[in-house]
Amino acid sequence: MSSTFIQVIASGLLLGAVYALFSSGLTLIWGMMNVINFAHGDFVMLGMYVAFVVWTVMGGGPAAAVPIAALVLASLGIVCYFVLIRHITRGPMLAQILGTFGLALLLRYSAFWYFGTSFRTLPETLVGGTLPIGPIRIESSRLLAGVVALVVTVCLHLLLTRTTLGSRMLAVAEDADAAELMGIRPDRMQAIAWGLAAAATGIAGALIANFFYVAPSVGETLAIVAFVTVSLGGFGSVPGALAAGLLIGIVEQVSAYAIGAIYKDIVVYALFVLALWLRPVGLMGRA
Amino acid sequence: MNPTGLARLLAAAAFGLAVTGAAFAQSVKVGAIYPLSGVAASVGVYAKAAIEVATDIVNNDHPELGDLPLAKGAGLTGLGGAKLEVVFADNQGTPAAGQNQAIRLITEEKVVAINGAYQSGITLTASAAAERYGIPFLTGDSVAANLTERGFKWFFRTTPIASDFARIYMEFLKDMKAKGARIDSIAIVHENTEYGTSVASVVTSTFKANGLNITQNIPYSANATDVQSQVLQLKDKKPDVLIFVSYTADAILYAKTMKSLDYKPPIMIADDAGFSDPSFVAAVGNIVQGVFNRSSWSVGAPGTKTYLVNDMYKKKSGVDLDDTTARIMQGFMVLVDAINRAGSTEPAKIQAALRATDLKPSQLIMGFKGVKFDEKGQNVLASALVIQLQNGVNYVPVWPKDQAAAEPVLVYKGW
Amino acid sequence: MMKRAAWPIASAVLLGYPLIFSTPFQQRLGALILLYAIGASAWNIVGGYAGLISVGHAVFFGCGAYGALASYQYLGLPPIGGLPIGVAASIGIAAIVGIPTLRLSGHYFSMATIAVAELVRLVVSNSEWLGGAQGLSGPPVPRTLLDLSFVSALPYYYVFLGVLAAMLALTRQMERSRIGYYLRAIHDSERAARTLGVPVSRYKLYAYMMSAALTAVAGALYAVMFGFVDPESGLGILISIKMLIMAALGGAGLLLGPLAGAVILVPLEEFSNSLLGGVGAGVTFLVYGAIIVVIARLQPGGLLRPIPGALRKRSARAKS
Repeated sequence: MSSTFIQVIASGLLLGAVYALFSSGLTLIWGMMNVINFAHGDFVMLGMYVAFVVWTVMGGGPAAAVPIAALVLASLGIVCYFVLIRHITRGPMLAQILGTFGLALLLRYSAFWYFGTSFRTLPETLVGGTLPIGPIRIESSRLLAGVVALVVTVCLHLLLTRTTLGSRMLAVAEDADAAELMGIRPDRMQAIAWGLAAAATGIAGALIANFFYVAPSVGETLAIVAFVTVSLGGFGSVPGALAAGLLIGIVEQVSAYAIGAIYKDIVVYALFVLALWLRPVGLMGRA
Repeated sequence: MNPTGLARLLAAAAFGLAVTGAAFAQSVKVGAIYPLSGVAASVGVYAKAAIEVATDIVNNDHPELGDLPLAKGAGLTGLGGAKLEVVFADNQGTPAAGQNQAIRLITEEKVVAINGAYQSGITLTASAAAERYGIPFLTGDSVAANLTERGFKWFFRTTPIASDFARIYMEFLKDMKAKGARIDSIAIVHENTEYGTSVASVVTSTFKANGLNITQNIPYSANATDVQSQVLQLKDKKPDVLIFVSYTADAILYAKTMKSLDYKPPIMIADDAGFSDPSFVAAVGNIVQGVFNRSSWSVGAPGTKTYLVNDMYKKKSGVDLDDTTARIMQGFMVLVDAINRAGSTEPAKIQAALRATDLKPSQLIMGFKGVKFDEKGQNVLASALVIQLQNGVNYVPVWPKDQAAAEPVLVYKGW
Repeated sequence: MMKRAAWPIASAVLLGYPLIFSTPFQQRLGALILLYAIGASAWNIVGGYAGLISVGHAVFFGCGAYGALASYQYLGLPPIGGLPIGVAASIGIAAIVGIPTLRLSGHYFSMATIAVAELVRLVVSNSEWLGGAQGLSGPPVPRTLLDLSFVSALPYYYVFLGVLAAMLALTRQMERSRIGYYLRAIHDSERAARTLGVPVSRYKLYAYMMSAALTAVAGALYAVMFGFVDPESGLGILISIKMLIMAALGGAGLLLGPLAGAVILVPLEEFSNSLLGGVGAGVTFLVYGAIIVVIARLQPGGLLRPIPGALRKRSARAKS
């Protein structure tokens, strides 16, 4: 029993790290620009397809897929910013939901049209096997994703808090007009934020593809988890997303194991609403 | 009049008949409603390919397919060789779109009958529309029990339903027990939408009534992002038999997670759907070796009609027919055969022809005992057999013995 | 002048539509437009006027739909007889959910409503009494006229039109009453409204409950027309998003915004699905997504937005 319980906790932590990984891009945009990105799940989906293409066409593994996914998605993010996001951020919050939801449909059904509807998976051999650690077993692909989640989170956090670029981005987030008076171009900063966020999302997708299925509709499944993770952590808080991701991962695994799989999401959502009631700005959000 | 003259006269008469026949119906429209977008689109797109192959079989001469109705000769012979035209519609995975499209097909496209709609909830609303308009609706794949309990007069179903599968699993397991397998504890893991819950509850009640013990029941959500806890629960209890009722995405997750957590049950059965999906078999077939499944479909030996039909389908879609797509194709063929026998595009005549359907196994691509509808519209001769994934990525029929191509291999191998 | 002419013309168009466009599919399309307009108008009260972007209104839609079909299932009533039950349930849920969530600001409120809606969907999926994942269905064959099961969509059309008219009249009344002013004040600046002595929390809750009750009406009408509801079609996130999109596209916080959104999006969806859906390559949603993106890009405040703004300016000038 106890070794199983350790396994449950370990699985929860790894799952949570993955949640944190694909939520980090979302929280960055959210905090920087106060935009809910309903297309976030579909950016993850595209990252997964990039990994799939890298594997099928070029025969490359994660070492090739991760940087390529980051590049491809970063470019896509910047294009989306200039074509669409820049214009809808000036409108009301509803326009953002409208615009990003439309974008989500476009991305999802472009993948649908191009890649077809089949579920695909990457071969097991890419990030091989399982590591037995003491009494428990850990999939190396998940471990890799978990470690990268930590690295990406730390990097984003350091970038925002320790660099000039980060301070400029935060200045724009705080007050775009004032920042412009200081000689910072809000457009450029926000485009960089979108590129960074999309790159992080692409990395997440490429890593998740190693142990998850790839299909055009996969983004829908992941999007709600990302929303809950980000708002529980506090919009804009990268460490908050990490903490929230780990917490949700553990809660999910423990409740699925102890009460039953169909109740795990009920437990997560109930705890989420309760947490917001007690702390209306998330775990680490600013008021 | 000499014999050649008589022959000429007859030929001319036949030609005249054919021409008039063609004049009153140059093409016969049948509607097909399937999920062509949304999460179930994978199935819908394959269903479309299967129906297009069936249409090809009807509209072109295929003497090589033997007794298969309408394979010989081009077009609908009962309607003077009229061409069959299928109007496809997307149910978008919602009951509302399913019903809207059914009404559009009936009133705008003037289809004479409808086939569909995969998800039972959508079949329910779409067939309700067909019932109101008095248009025959045939489903080849929706298994919810309540569909045939509504007192509908225009609804028909060719597929076996949950109670049929439950009986097959039960008899198969008892047979395995007689051969020395342990079946004292049985776990059932099922997704919690309509498909999984209905099959699981029927299996549970059938097993209980026949003295088999379901010791563990694990429902889960089909769009789960992770299934490790469920596998750990199984690992704890170590059931003798594990039964999965899953869709594709979740089936893939289970296969991968069972390998990573190193869990193998002695006997593993999977109920069709996800485990039969060609994309599942292609993706993870090599790590679920020895899983049992049920199917009414088998590709058969080279040269047989099923083999040839599968070949046509494979050319179109790139994958083999599986149980789901083959059931859809079979249902469609039964519907078209009835239209042909009705010799008319009048819905009431087609309905009467469907009621009079009596197809023999040799006229089917599925391994049914035949097709014959009861007063509720259910095919009473529907049946299935047990298949096993052996030596790579092919399911082979292993039970019952008279239809088996190989012996069932006991002790699940996995990877 | 123009404004005075607009109402009779709009009424004549709405009343006459199914007589001019009289094929079954066109009539049905009209009924669907009105049904979605009812849902989106109900959402508009809290999402548009009060500016509280709920992405979980499916809960209330589901209350109406489940109320209708459960009262058929267990009480043998005609489905429409379950309307009061559904409305009462949704007001109750709105009160319970509203108290903890309405104090959240902006996006946190939206996310909390998503979570609550998913929570309810999951609970219903696992509740055998409400049909679980299989859902509930209405009378398969109509027993009496009251089952409101018609082959033609014409009766639905006029019933929905009546309901929509009543709902818009009610909303118009609300716009001009104290609650309307309060909601607009809250929308503009919650803090300022509070300073001015507006009982912010109470009025937000009123708006939320009113919106919930009217959304349940839309759900009940849906269930009557389609005769079936399951967790996905009654409580799924797509239902919430659809209401929001129709209202936002036409112009949230405007009386006729949701109707305008429905007039554009419902035919777009039905026609593109009818023309392109059979191809099976997802083209429907590419078109649908593209049009939403273009409108959001060019007209972020909704299609009707500039018109009342211009009018108000003109009337303000006339007054001064």
